[in-house]
Amino acid sequence: MKKVKGLFKGFFMIIVVTVLVACSSNDDGVQAGIEIPGITITDDINCCSAEEALQVYRFLQTVKIIPELQTEIDDKYNVYAFTRTGTFHVGYNEIFFVATNKATGNYIKNFELKSITPLMYMSNMNMYHSTPIGETKLDFDDDALALKSVWVSFLMNTSEAGSWTLSYDAQVLGKQGGLDKAEITVKSLPEGQQWLKSFKIGSDTYYLSLVNPLDFQTGINTIRAYISKKNTPITTPYPLSSETFTIEIDPRMPDMDNHTSPDNIALSQQSDGSYQGSIKLTMTGLWRIHLTVRDKNGNVVAGGDTQSNGYSSLYWDVTI
Amino acid sequence: MLGLILLSAIFQTDTIATNTKQLDEVVVVAHSQTGKRSPKGAIASIDEHLQELNHVDLVRRGAYAWEPNVNNMQTERLSTTIDGMKIFYACTDKMDPVTSYVESSNLQNISLNSGLDGNPQATGNIGGALDLRLRKAGFDNTRYSSTITLGYEGNGHLQVYGGDATYSSHKIYANGGVFYRNADNYKAGGGREVEYSQFQKVNAFVNTGLRLSECDVTEATLIFDRASNVGYPALNMDVAKAEAFITSLSYKHLFEGKLDSWETKVYYNHITHVMDDTKRPDVEIHMDMPGKSWTAGAYSLLAATTDRHSVQFNIDGYYNRLFADMTMYPGGAAPMYMVTWPDVGTLNLGTAVTDNITLSKVSLLRLSAKLSWQNQRLNNEEGYKALNVFFPGMSRQYYQTTGRLAASYRLSTAKNQFTIGAGWGSRAPTVTEAYGYYLNNTFDQYDYIGNPRLKNENAFELNGSYKRSMFNGKYSVLVDANAFFFNNYIIGQFETRLCPMTVDAEGVKVYGNINHATIANSSITMEWNPIKKIRLTAKGSYSIGLDDEGEPLSLISPFSYSTRLTYDLGPFSLNTEVKGHTLQSKNGKKYGENKTNAWTICNLSATYVWRKTTLRAGVENLFDRYYATYTDWCHIPQKGRNLYMNISYVL
Repeated sequence: MKKVKGLFKGFFMIIVVTVLVACSSNDDGVQAGIEIPGITITDDINCCSAEEALQVYRFLQTVKIIPELQTEIDDKYNVYAFTRTGTFHVGYNEIFFVATNKATGNYIKNFELKSITPLMYMSNMNMYHSTPIGETKLDFDDDALALKSVWVSFLMNTSEAGSWTLSYDAQVLGKQGGLDKAEITVKSLPEGQQWLKSFKIGSDTYYLSLVNPLDFQTGINTIRAYISKKNTPITTPYPLSSETFTIEIDPRMPDMDNHTSPDNIALSQQSDGSYQGSIKLTMTGLWRIHLTVRDKNGNVVAGGDTQSNGYSSLYWDVTI
Repeated sequence: MLGLILLSAIFQTDTIATNTKQLDEVVVVAHSQTGKRSPKGAIASIDEHLQELNHVDLVRRGAYAWEPNVNNMQTERLSTTIDGMKIFYACTDKMDPVTSYVESSNLQNISLNSGLDGNPQATGNIGGALDLRLRKAGFDNTRYSSTITLGYEGNGHLQVYGGDATYSSHKIYANGGVFYRNADNYKAGGGREVEYSQFQKVNAFVNTGLRLSECDVTEATLIFDRASNVGYPALNMDVAKAEAFITSLSYKHLFEGKLDSWETKVYYNHITHVMDDTKRPDVEIHMDMPGKSWTAGAYSLLAATTDRHSVQFNIDGYYNRLFADMTMYPGGAAPMYMVTWPDVGTLNLGTAVTDNITLSKVSLLRLSAKLSWQNQRLNNEEGYKALNVFFPGMSRQYYQTTGRLAASYRLSTAKNQFTIGAGWGSRAPTVTEAYGYYLNNTFDQYDYIGNPRLKNENAFELNGSYKRSMFNGKYSVLVDANAFFFNNYIIGQFETRLCPMTVDAEGVKVYGNINHATIANSSITMEWNPIKKIRLTAKGSYSIGLDDEGEPLSLISPFSYSTRLTYDLGPFSLNTEVKGHTLQSKNGKKYGENKTNAWTICNLSATYVWRKTTLRAGVENLFDRYYATYTDWCHIPQKGRNLYMNISYVL
């Protein structure tokens, strides 16, 4: 988030500079406006100013639209959803939402998004279940309320055995709308990528969602994850677990005789409910991150067992 | 007028005008040894010529590209320059010491300054400084001449073909040539074939000079050298291509009076090195490991002579870039990539002074000093971030200041010659030592990681020699010794916390400074000329190397000896040599070195000069002994019996 904030500020600076340069070079004294393709800036106080709109627009250039999650509210507003790749995959996905005024194309400064519910229908068993999702506070950035985000960690991919839908409620300037069970496609991860794992404590099931591992690079990386707990009924989205754990990591390269790196730091719970640690990667390739999950008393509750090769059977796979 | 004649005479010597077309002297400046050369003559490789020098051994990883080892120190502690030009090898596994990028036919001689007294362009030379001096036709020499050289060695079917041509006048000179070598696998003693010991090499060079006025000369050099299909039996990989392009342009002005000459040279060279493991049968993971090195630099050397002083003042600077990476391809899975030399840019600026002071008719004092400043920057982001894993918060740039100071005093009378010298000098860590990343060393089976926080290494050197001639000069004996006392000696240290990268590696070592270390060398040389035609030389040398805990360092010579009997009959000469070393009992066990057994071999050679033709023939390892020397990497065996013959013809 902070990075994005920084980015926004960077863009803002660029705009200011551009505007200043434009001003000084204009002889007739008319201020040059910021032109954003498809957006008309008006003095509607519910919509973004030129600078704000450009920030949002620039960010949306870095993500891709998910047409299935688009909806119209009161014939006046559009709601759009985006992900990094324009698709969904098994494991952690960030979804970004904006609402626009249909007439001007400009972003609505503030809107509400609620009850995001991913649901899988497993046809052969005729049953429904949900999947872990992030907290409901959806403000992507306190300074840029026009953009909302939520994460969803899909347990499995769309296949003949099951299909995914996603529902949400939206309220734009007092008008209600949303989508009910919009069908979406969740792709499986390629070989060498396993970003979502589960473990059980008694009869409770927990999920370990690794955040954006494709951002990893050779060197020192911040590693983030969420621990969610299966909800009852299972058709309601799985929230973050209220318990506190630590996740110890042991990254290994199975193709390199289980080569590892030094000074990896276990993931511990942060104030926002996520888990954060540090992972060192000495090269690119397939890294198997073996996991040991401990409860707040330090007892091992998952992983930490030894397979025949001596490493925990609970792991994420990341290929960078 | 007289001045002009003298000047042109200086020009001739300055541009190394010579009538002989061979690499006819391998000079050790500090010890005044001249005229040494390999019995194989013109077809001998540079490595074979270097072997003739005192306190020089060659680390062999195959049949090609041996690494010079001077005073029992390797590349890190030596300086190697080509006519004063800096050049840096491009292979992270030291498969290509820079001496491998020139060919004997390129050179006039190789000068070795032992210890801290280096040539003006040398930096970081604690163990010694080699300067490979290029062969230039020079002005006012034989107008046209050309030579053809052919050579063949039975063991390994080594074929050598060489040709060169020379043009010289008062105004202009040019000489150039082409050299080609090709060898199959050689056989060790007992007929055992050493697999992956083949090589092939092509070399071409041109040297030109133009006299702009009687006192001004400009010279240019161009060398292209390409080795391909080079096997390294001591390593896990071979080399597909090792290519160098070396150029220089210089301008020299001669003065009348106290100033002699002022030479300024600019140069550029680049090396491309590509390793290859596709020919090895049992490769677990195929790897690509290319390396690149380029260097641009300049130096300016002013020489002056007065009655008592002969002074050289030099400023030099160079910028070198070193980059190497590695991609591993595990069957089916994603490739693994790492940067092994993070595109390190080194800017080095230095200034040096040497002065030879004639104190009296019999005594001479030589002083030399150099001060260098260096900046290193890691230009590759990925490599920099990877090193951060081991050195969090490391800097992107490093600065080092190094220097050396040496003094030696010589007293020579008709029968006695006595020298004593001392020096102090420091060196900055090499790119491998500071920034190398998981470089596998097959010598001790460890992966090495560089340490950007290394301190400079420094050493104090003492040396001395005494030569006495007896019986009207028919018998002489020379004893010499030197000792290096290191502080912050740089060496790989065990890091058990880290996990090796190379499959089957023993562990990881990270370069570190140890408080102190000592390396000392001594030798005795006896020469006997009972009659004019017969010369008998016997040489013995012994060295020790100890770390801070008194444990032996690796690659330190045990007692080694050689005797050579030369019978000279005018155009015909005969040479018999017996050499060997004793059991290396003080092996660097702590550093993963195994003992090397004692060995003795016998070589024979004969030379016959008939008009314009020189014919050489000989046999090495006459009794076909199976042996390895202490510098044979992983104890790969030396050549078994080898018959050779070569002919050179002056057109």
